[in-house]
Amino acid sequence: MAGDDARPRVLRGAYECIAREGMAKTTVDDVAAASGVSRASIYRLFPGGKDELLRETVGWEMDRFFLHLGEELGDAADFPEFLERALPLARRELLEHAVLQKVLETEPDRLNALITVQQHRVIGAIAAYFLPLLERDRDAGLVAADVDLAPVAEYVARLCLSLIASPGRHDLGDPAEVRRLVRGELLGGVLVV
Amino acid sequence: MTLIAAPPSVTALPTDVRLRDAALACIGRFGLAKTTVDDIAREAGCSRATLYRYFDGKPAIVRAMLVAERDRIIDALVDAGRAAPTFADAVVEVVVAGARELRAHEALQFLLAHEPEAVLGHLAFGPGDRLLTAVGDAIAPAFDRWLSPAAATRAGDWLARLVRSYVLMPHPPVDFTDPIAARAFLRQLVLPGLSSLGLAESREPS
Repeated sequence: MAGDDARPRVLRGAYECIAREGMAKTTVDDVAAASGVSRASIYRLFPGGKDELLRETVGWEMDRFFLHLGEELGDAADFPEFLERALPLARRELLEHAVLQKVLETEPDRLNALITVQQHRVIGAIAAYFLPLLERDRDAGLVAADVDLAPVAEYVARLCLSLIASPGRHDLGDPAEVRRLVRGELLGGVLVV
Repeated sequence: MTLIAAPPSVTALPTDVRLRDAALACIGRFGLAKTTVDDIAREAGCSRATLYRYFDGKPAIVRAMLVAERDRIIDALVDAGRAAPTFADAVVEVVVAGARELRAHEALQFLLAHEPEAVLGHLAFGPGDRLLTAVGDAIAPAFDRWLSPAAATRAGDWLARLVRSYVLMPHPPVDFTDPIAARAFLRQLVLPGLSSLGLAESREPS
């Protein structure tokens, strides 16, 4: 029987397999061997089989990534400061993420789908993380009181993901540029001036 | 696939344009992988031999079609912005026009639904950097009545990001093809940021 911890064990096992073999070569049998969870239990947890497992593994790793970000930046005084520190840090960690960069190099198609047409999953997670930070700033009088913050959190999550994955003309290593983005394009509509 | 000859107004177009249009129509119907040179020639109402006088093969036609489509859409967006009475209206018009062009684009929508690997590689990560920079530069003239070139380019970049996220990806919380919804959203969340960046350098409409 798969215990309560089977799901994270399977996801961790799948992540290890992807790191070693890439996405195409990873099989459900490999993940069963790596996680110590039976093939039958894996299919019960992930009825969509390998595709669902890969998708959930990317989501799981992204959650870990943002959890780590939260730990690093938990002491930020307010949401603008949080974002000003989070954007360069997330960009740097994305570039240094060995598994992500390996998969991007060898199997970009699979990963591209997961972070573009399937991005609503990760956006939902980021927005859920941002919302209480925005609410805290509203209670402190930094954010306009009459604004519905859920769509704001969603907007900021989308555009932060956009900047982290493809900064384009924006240099996220330049604090003045990041400050301009955060207080202008990202939060200009809600910050009390 | 039709064997019926195209109407005269279409056959009057130059052959290379007809071939580009035919490639676009075929991809909207069959996708990129399944579209053949023969399909394109038949759709354009010309022979395979004629096709090869203009293009090296399918990849060359597809490249030419992509350039033409990009230019057509960019021109439409720039015109939409320039015709607007205020900067705020220009931002709304550009976003709504962009959303409508992309949402109604049969070839793009077919590929996103059935052959995402043909499209997504151009949208994400490094290629996404190049795409956003190019689109930002190209649509900046939509705002040059109100903003300095640098501020206009920055606005173009941001709107390209918005459209990429809210129009090309599924499950958007707001429908940018709807002008009322788009205006409310942009006015609240986007315009204050763009205006605060551009106002110092902004100019009166000429």
